[in-house]
Amino acid sequence: MKVSMKWLKQYADIPVTPAEYESRMVMTGTGVEGVEPIAPELEGVVVGKVLTCRPHENSDHLHVCTVDVGEGEPLQIVCGAPNVTEGILVPVAKIGAKLPGGVTIKKGKLRGVESQGMLCSGPEIGVPVELYPSVGTAGLLVFREDHPLGADVKPIFGLDDTVIDFEILANRPDCLCVWGVARETAVAMNTELKLPEIKVTEAGGDIHDYAKVDVQESELCPRYAAKVIKNVRVGESPYWLRQYLYAAGMRSINNIVDITNFIMLETGHPMHAFDLSKVRGSHIIVRKAEKGEKLTTLDGKEYALNGTELMICDEQGPTGLAGIMGGEESEITETTKYVLFECASFDRACVRVTARSLGIRTESSGRFERGVSPATVMDALNRACQMVNELDAGDVVGGVIDIYPKPLQPVTLTVSCARMARRAGVDIAPEEMENILKKLQFSVTRNGDEMAVTAPLFRQDMEQEADICEEVLRYAGYGRIPITHLRGETPMGGMNDTGRRESVIRGQLTGMGFYESMTFSFISPKTIAALGLPESDPRNAPLMIRNPLGEDTSCMRTTVLPGLLKTLATNIKNGNESGKLYELGTIYDAKNRTKEGLPTETHELALGMYGGSADFYAIRGVVEALCKQAGIPCAIASTDAPYLHPGRRAAILAGEDVLAVVGEMHPDTAVKYGLSGRVYVAVVNLPLFFAKTRAMGEVKSIARFPAVNRDLALVMKETQQVGPLMEALRHGCGAMLEDIRMFDVFRGVQVGLGNKSVAFSLTFRAADHTLTDEEITALTEKALKISKEQFGAVLRA
Amino acid sequence: MDIRENLAQIGEELRKELETADAVQSLEALRVKVLGKKGSLTALLRGMGGLSPEERPKMGQMINEAREKLTALLDEKQRELAAKEKEIRLAAEAIDVTEPRELPEIGAEHPMNLVLSEVLDCFTSMGFSVVEGPEVELDLYNFELLNVPKNHPARDAQDTFYIDDNVVLRSQTSPVQARTMLTQKPPIRIVCPGRVFRADEVDATHSPVFHQIEGLVIDKDVTMADLKGTLDAFAKRLYGPDIDVRFRPSFFPFTEPSAEVDLTCFNCHGKGCRVCKGTGWIEVLGCGMVNPKVLEMCGIDSKVYSGFAFGIGVERITMLRYGIKDMRLLYEGDLRFLKQFR
Repeated sequence: MKVSMKWLKQYADIPVTPAEYESRMVMTGTGVEGVEPIAPELEGVVVGKVLTCRPHENSDHLHVCTVDVGEGEPLQIVCGAPNVTEGILVPVAKIGAKLPGGVTIKKGKLRGVESQGMLCSGPEIGVPVELYPSVGTAGLLVFREDHPLGADVKPIFGLDDTVIDFEILANRPDCLCVWGVARETAVAMNTELKLPEIKVTEAGGDIHDYAKVDVQESELCPRYAAKVIKNVRVGESPYWLRQYLYAAGMRSINNIVDITNFIMLETGHPMHAFDLSKVRGSHIIVRKAEKGEKLTTLDGKEYALNGTELMICDEQGPTGLAGIMGGEESEITETTKYVLFECASFDRACVRVTARSLGIRTESSGRFERGVSPATVMDALNRACQMVNELDAGDVVGGVIDIYPKPLQPVTLTVSCARMARRAGVDIAPEEMENILKKLQFSVTRNGDEMAVTAPLFRQDMEQEADICEEVLRYAGYGRIPITHLRGETPMGGMNDTGRRESVIRGQLTGMGFYESMTFSFISPKTIAALGLPESDPRNAPLMIRNPLGEDTSCMRTTVLPGLLKTLATNIKNGNESGKLYELGTIYDAKNRTKEGLPTETHELALGMYGGSADFYAIRGVVEALCKQAGIPCAIASTDAPYLHPGRRAAILAGEDVLAVVGEMHPDTAVKYGLSGRVYVAVVNLPLFFAKTRAMGEVKSIARFPAVNRDLALVMKETQQVGPLMEALRHGCGAMLEDIRMFDVFRGVQVGLGNKSVAFSLTFRAADHTLTDEEITALTEKALKISKEQFGAVLRA
Repeated sequence: MDIRENLAQIGEELRKELETADAVQSLEALRVKVLGKKGSLTALLRGMGGLSPEERPKMGQMINEAREKLTALLDEKQRELAAKEKEIRLAAEAIDVTEPRELPEIGAEHPMNLVLSEVLDCFTSMGFSVVEGPEVELDLYNFELLNVPKNHPARDAQDTFYIDDNVVLRSQTSPVQARTMLTQKPPIRIVCPGRVFRADEVDATHSPVFHQIEGLVIDKDVTMADLKGTLDAFAKRLYGPDIDVRFRPSFFPFTEPSAEVDLTCFNCHGKGCRVCKGTGWIEVLGCGMVNPKVLEMCGIDSKVYSGFAFGIGVERITMLRYGIKDMRLLYEGDLRFLKQFR
């Protein structure tokens, strides 16, 4: 919320530097986002009168003027503005003057004629066109009022002012106005709060002869107050008012509308001004919209209403959206003669829901959504009438309409000083608490430790002792909170199981050269579809977000793989020659719901590698190594994962269950993810992995008897898989076959076309004796027999 | 010739030959020539048959002494030559130790996990347990039990992602607080790390997905000073002993009083710099005393128990920690970025 410092200083003194003020406000709970002087650089620009003005001899648009700046000889200034003419008062930048943007005015010649300064437009001295209407950016700012020649223009335009941008906390809607901030300022500065005395001069008559108000929804509109102004003189607001509004980011419309906005900014009460002659029957009715009713608002947009909106209506239909925006029909115009000022209180939720459903946000709706106290409505309304008097914008009709069936009752809380001090952890004496609360306009009756505290009616956020405690602590100072440590029973802390286990896996992957990446939890359904999974696969039915940022983030991922593939594609595109990456993250299963009806959330690990030494066996090896470290015996089986190369893909099984799927990306799928070259991936089912993980058992004793190695080269068909053969040998040779290792594969005419020769190293050992030659021969024979009979693999000649 | 003379001559010859011997192998030939079965010294021994029995032991002794002497000479020369040969071999084996080779690659965890681990280490060592909760969450836990009633501005569609009227993508890790309080009796001391979601467009400092660490302590007589002490310990552990915490008044619906927490700027150590915009402080987290209304809604007697809660933004502390200027780097996964972490 932006506020002019001048405006604020009318109500509370700020006897410190802006930086010190900012710090004190911040430390007492009023955030400050910025402190900006309006024109910090402007210097040396004064009011001058153009005495003479003649065309420049060597130019078709320049003029040579003499300008009286109230001292010495008139200055000769060359000016190019089209509206320069004799007799006008204009801002004059003298030699040495500084303008916004770092411009310094120097003596110079323009087409041979000396110029001792510059006549200025509004924007050139930091006065925007909206604020001081002139002929636009090309023309000079021409003063419309009289000023002493030579007077500094800074105070005239309020350019010596500073704008403070306050950040008001959500629980303090009472501070969304100058008075609110002034209240906090006065307490923070320990100065006096000087709110204006409100006096209205009425011109007689009775409002009831001019207007009538009925509130049909008193729950949604707890208070509705109105005053009528007659003989309205719609016109331009004085400069100071326009400038206050401008500093707050609002546009000046006319004196009547500006008064309502001024009141909103000053008191926090949004107001509305109706052209009473356009209110049919001069009768305001506050009611809900009827379904299908229509309203065109001030900004010219037409809305069809659904029946839930609270409306300000006249006898024939809607004339405003309560608390949000008025209707075009009853808008104030130059011809308006009678005005009805509305100052009301509307239900927060009702304003919020309507504003949201119609997609309108205004200064007014924002304030009502956060809460406007009905208790202070009359102050605001009377202040508006006082402004009408001051600006001579019309005559205030006597009397008021004030529909307030259930006046807000002050809340009195009984609190314990000791308990509040304990909560805060700060030693604050009861007397000090009492003083702070009184400065904040609370009424306090203290009886020893116990205090009865009544909050002022503009505060709607005081519901319990903890709230009072915060008020006290804010002004006692958060800096006084000491540092103490938790006492009492110390629970046994620690990581959760999953976290611990995942941290082990992360460590192992780090050791194997993998880098961890992270992607968003929501992805495009298209990136799941691109995997080409069967229609019935639950991964094809993700949880959809009702209000996503876009299609590409519209569903919760059912697998981490698409995210990882995107990361891999980024790396390949960015020219990183090789990569080993993984992502370990949550996936969301919309089909399997928890007892609470939420999707099942589990973690999945996806691994990917490309370039360098990456191949199918490398990625499979990583998964196998993880399994080995987790004590999971695993087997390699076929898979039909459609996104993988049909000849280079496998499932890693733990028993019957698929622990992981590994393989090379199918070229057709790879293209869809923007991958080029061969990319290898693995997807690991982590819950299953952890379920199958076994703690290491007792240590085995080290074998005492020597081992014997036998190397066998077996020739077999190219299509024969090596894995099953080795498994059969392991099984068939029994416990004495300690290890079997494949160490070479040879292809060539020597072994026949369509064949391969695979070399194995077999290690035999017995636990209780040294193997004899006979035993070794028998074992080798057995191995050869199994190979030949079951797999057609024969010893290489 | 006298044996004595013979011995002298054999010795003389051997010495001469040893002087020119330049390889261990040629030495072996010499040894055979002198001491071998057919060697010159052995021949002398054999020739002792013609000596008188009195002379025999004397001569025998002499020959044996000479043999020992010559053996020692040969051995010494052999050692000398072997050492020389080894030297030559080692010299020949010298390699260029500055030649580069491919390193065995060690990867790294994501920077946010590196920071998260440190934070969790810190809190678990203070007796906090790590708990996790669902990311797709009931409105009840994400909002209502945290004193954010229906139609509170924080619920605007532009802030929170909805699945349906009752289910949201959690906008904070705080719902884990509510879940814990409903199922666990005080004393409670937990931290909950996790992903949260808000409908912010992606830019250098915003992401619709980000991470928080929620902390919650419920016990008898927990004070705001305990909260400050806990966060002070955290700040010092993570950023160093000269880092202080500063509390500023703030507002959160589920805490009262609430505070925004600043840490001494770890770039300038409080002097004021670009990172802290000249203030010497960096805003890092929000916290407060658990609102008694929240305790009551979660079935904990607020007259007996009090507690505090805090929420730390992991992206923020990670970016501050490593001087990362653009949040998008964290989610892009470019290895040139990831490889900088260890």
